[in-house]
Parts: sequence; structure tokens; C-alpha cells
Amino acid sequence: MKMKEKDEFLKQMENLKVPEVNPQEHPQLVKMAIMNADRSAVLGVWLIVVPCYFLFCVFMYYFSHIRVGTSWFAAMFRLMSSLDKTRYIDFLGPVIMVVLPIVCIMINSLAIIHVNVQKTGPRQSTVREFSVTIKIKVWNILLILISLVIVGTFIAYVMTEHISVSN
Amino acid sequence: MKLNWFTRKGVIYWPASAIGWVILVIAVAYAVYTFIDIDSRSHSGSDTMINFVFNLLLIGLIYTIIAYFTEARKAD
Repeated sequence: MKMKEKDEFLKQMENLKVPEVNPQEHPQLVKMAIMNADRSAVLGVWLIVVPCYFLFCVFMYYFSHIRVGTSWFAAMFRLMSSLDKTRYIDFLGPVIMVVLPIVCIMINSLAIIHVNVQKTGPRQSTVREFSVTIKIKVWNILLILISLVIVGTFIAYVMTEHISVSN
Repeated sequence: MKLNWFTRKGVIYWPASAIGWVILVIAVAYAVYTFIDIDSRSHSGSDTMINFVFNLLLIGLIYTIIAYFTEARKAD
């Protein structure tokens, strides 16, 4: 009885399928981002809420044909221009309009981008491969795009003002 | 160093310890003080609100930055 069981066991072991491992195949990677996507999105929202509020007020002030509530937008516009003229807080305008959105772009980019450099080729030493992976995280991508628009708008404003002043 | 002062629910950080509550109370007290200060110097309601909302958002930003670095991390 025991011998029969042993034979069956040996047969089962012989018929076991061993998984095939191909060493040439591209190895699987764990693509870890540097920062947490959810936390970066939350901080990003707070970083761009002030410039978004300011831009919204400016656009409404200039482009709104409905004159209801324009005093609100005009007051906001006056506040931001007064920041430039006040001695110790004149740096606050550029910080809000440029530095905060750039920080938002950085932290959200670090949360969704994975970069990998590895050696490829037959001898694993001849060619270097640089691969960038972007995770599709809607909130992070949206915050990056909004921040780019804010920074772009501010740069465009500074450039046009500089050109008009020099002319 | 692990600091578990805040916990996050959505986009808002809530205090999770005594120090967290102290920071929240200071932020709220400063916001109230700012409102009273702006109101005493402004000429109209919209002037007060504009300046106050602007300051409130900045206070919220600073509070969130503190909470971001001191929040309780969930074990992944």
C-alpha cells in the first residue's frame, strides 16, 4: 500500500509542469512614483486656489459685459495692484502667480511620472534605454494643466507689459 | 520623525491631536482678527470681503502646508 502511494506521488511529481523562464524577456518593474498622488493633488488644489481666484476676478473684471457685481472684481483687482505698491509685501504677487503653481506642477509631476534608465542590448552594456512612464491620474494631470495655464498667463502678461513700456 | 497631528478627509485636513487642534484654533482666531482688522479699515462690504477672502485662502494654504507635513500616514 505504501509503495503504491509512493509510486503515485513520484508519478505526480514527474508530470508536474515547470514554468518556463525566459531570461531574455524584459523584466517586470515596480513603477513607484516619488510622491503620493492623492496627497499631492490635495496640496496642489490649495496651491492654485489663490491664483485661480485672482485670475477669475481679473477675467470677470475685463470681459464681463454684465455689470452686476463688478465692484467685487474691481476690488480684487485693486487689491492685487496694491500688493505691488506696498513696500514689504511686493514680492507676494509673483510668489502667488508663479512660485505656487510651479510647486504644484513639481509635486504633481513627481506623483505621476516614473523614470527608468537601464542597459539593454545583447550584452546588457552597449545601449542605454531611458523610459518615462506617466500614470493616468486625472486630478494630478488637471492640476498640472491649470498650473501651466496660470504660469503662462502671468508670463504673457509680464512680456506684453514689458514690450508696451519699452515702446 | 512621525507626527500625527492631522488626518485628511477629502481636501481638508482635520486635527487628530491636541497640537493639531491648537493650530486650527490659532488659524481660526487669526482669520477672525484679520476680518475685524480689514473691516475697520475698509470702505465697503465688497472691499472687506475681497480682502478677507484673499487672506482666508492664504491662511488655509499655510494651514494645509503644515498639515501636509504632519499628517498621520496610512499604512500601505
